Amino acid sequence: MNSYQELKLDALGDLTRRGILAQLLNGPLPVGELAGRFPVSRPAISQHLRILKEAQLVTDVAAGTRRLYAINREGFNSLREYFDQFWETALHEFKKKVESRDV
Amino acid sequence: MTATDSSTVQKTITVEATPEHAFEVFTAGIDSWWPRSHHIGKSPMKETRIECRAGGRCYSVHEDGAEGDWGKILVWEPPLRFVMAWQITHQWGYEPDLAKASEVEVSFTPAEGGKTRVDLEHRYFERMGPGAEEMRTAVNGGWGKLMEMFAAQAAAGSATQ
Repeated sequence: MNSYQELKLDALGDLTRRGILAQLLNGPLPVGELAGRFPVSRPAISQHLRILKEAQLVTDVAAGTRRLYAINREGFNSLREYFDQFWETALHEFKKKVESRDV
Repeated sequence: MTATDSSTVQKTITVEATPEHAFEVFTAGIDSWWPRSHHIGKSPMKETRIECRAGGRCYSVHEDGAEGDWGKILVWEPPLRFVMAWQITHQWGYEPDLAKASEVEVSFTPAEGGKTRVDLEHRYFERMGPGAEEMRTAVNGGWGKLMEMFAAQAAAGSATQ
């Protein structure tokens, strides 16, 4: 399990981040435009975008004075891929817990 | 185990514990290890629970007080095996119809040295309704229709907030 997979799993686990990805499917957007579409602050949107970017699900490009965020289509392939990563992470956590014997 | 087909996820892990302990931690103790980010609720998850019996609910409890079902125990054979319906749609919502739910089987097999081999299979993604074909396409061909369906659901979710 590499850290990139963990990042991707965390990134997809959040409702707002899934919503951001959904918005970006219709085309690249600047952060201010995205922030107007969610009931959370602009800094919060920036933080979500940073997480999505680290997980390689979103890329950003300079467009004049603005920075546009866009879906990184190479980032993920399918729901099966998502669950493949989910169970990898989950079973790793399970093993740690079951061997710690403090349940 | 059988060969992995494109719509099945299989994982195996060996833990240094008895099957009894491993089964207990996996089910009754699920909240102690479940990844916190993984839930389909609208507010942050406080806890996730499995009712330890055939027919038992699998659900999460959220900070806003809401409870959200995400599965049901179909087979309950402690400490060796259980099967749960995984009632989450490919649109990240709750799937009340068991015939359209995917399924997770977890078995606990005694291994040498007092260890236990845990085999997990997440299968029947193809049951998840009209999106199944698109999902197969997505598996084989990358992006595709799956993300459009996901987009529609996510957009519906943000519109209700």
